[in-house]
Amino acid sequence: MADLLVLVAIGVGTYLMRAAFLATAGARPPAVVTRLLQYVGPAVLAAIALPALVAPHGRVTSAETVPALLAAVVAGVLWRLTRSLPLALFGGLAAAWGVTWLLT
Amino acid sequence: MHTGSRSLRAAAPQVPLRPVPLRPVVLRAAADAVPVVAAYVPFGLTLGATLAASGISPLVAWSSSPLLFGGAAQLLAVQLLGAGANVAVVVLGALVVNSRMLLYSASLAQHASGWSRRARWGGAYLLADPVYALAIGRFTKPDGGGDARLRLAYYLGVGATLWTAWMAITASGTLLAGVLPDGLRLDVAAPLTFLLLVLPMLTSRPAWAAAATGGLVAVAASGLPLGLGLLVGAAAGIAAGALVGGRRG
Repeated sequence: MADLLVLVAIGVGTYLMRAAFLATAGARPPAVVTRLLQYVGPAVLAAIALPALVAPHGRVTSAETVPALLAAVVAGVLWRLTRSLPLALFGGLAAAWGVTWLLT
Repeated sequence: MHTGSRSLRAAAPQVPLRPVPLRPVVLRAAADAVPVVAAYVPFGLTLGATLAASGISPLVAWSSSPLLFGGAAQLLAVQLLGAGANVAVVVLGALVVNSRMLLYSASLAQHASGWSRRARWGGAYLLADPVYALAIGRFTKPDGGGDARLRLAYYLGVGATLWTAWMAITASGTLLAGVLPDGLRLDVAAPLTFLLLVLPMLTSRPAWAAAATGGLVAVAASGLPLGLGLLVGAAAGIAAGALVGGRRG
């Protein structure tokens, strides 16, 4: 029950952030806010992605880290070449799968 | 779609303009969303399985899908809750992760001036990463995605398609937990999906600095108590971006 309340609180907060400028269409955020906001996406998403790629399950092991990093490189290259999200994602997953299969 | 030029030609106010039908726009939106849905299947399944294994009630955990409608924050919140992290850290961490929605909100608002109040308040609920990416991709084309009515139809079409798919995929992952073979390496799917969300954002040196710093600091800080490594990394990344971007950023 307490868990549900926490999720509801996050949900309400998230909704208010989504509605902040959209609901008052026309109101522009202050310049300082806009300037900082453009770095939130790259900073936050990289801060989630990189630790999970370097140390899957919280540990650096060759059996886990190598496939994950290779998947990231393959996905990055495929995305640059094709700009296709599904192609890059499944290409990266296939690389991780292939290396895991080779290593075990 | 050449609605832009058509409405220009009919600029004289008295000429009744036959409204452009919405159906093709909605179908187009659904079609555009299909490859994105496919790309979210591995992450959604993993997330669902993580939700089921988190130690909190599976139904409560899955309710994060309709409540949060954003995988990154869902994953963080449920993992931290399951691990018994401090409630304030959980809420703060998830809200920091989702604070990029403020940027999406400000950006989309510039294309939503013709939408009704109800449409803007309702549409805000659907404003997730892929919905924003698809909508902004269309609205920044030369014809602007048509008039306000057509833009709203497209946005809601994309949003409803991705929302429905996300509910179904995460529910499937929750139900299939334990059945999915480990050999598929689906655990890589989540960070890979976030990486592919970051790449399109790296259009400037400050953005690169923010991502590189955020990622590396988060790795270095991963020994900190649950969730704090992310917060420290995010703060460092935002500061680095602002520093490199300077006043003009």
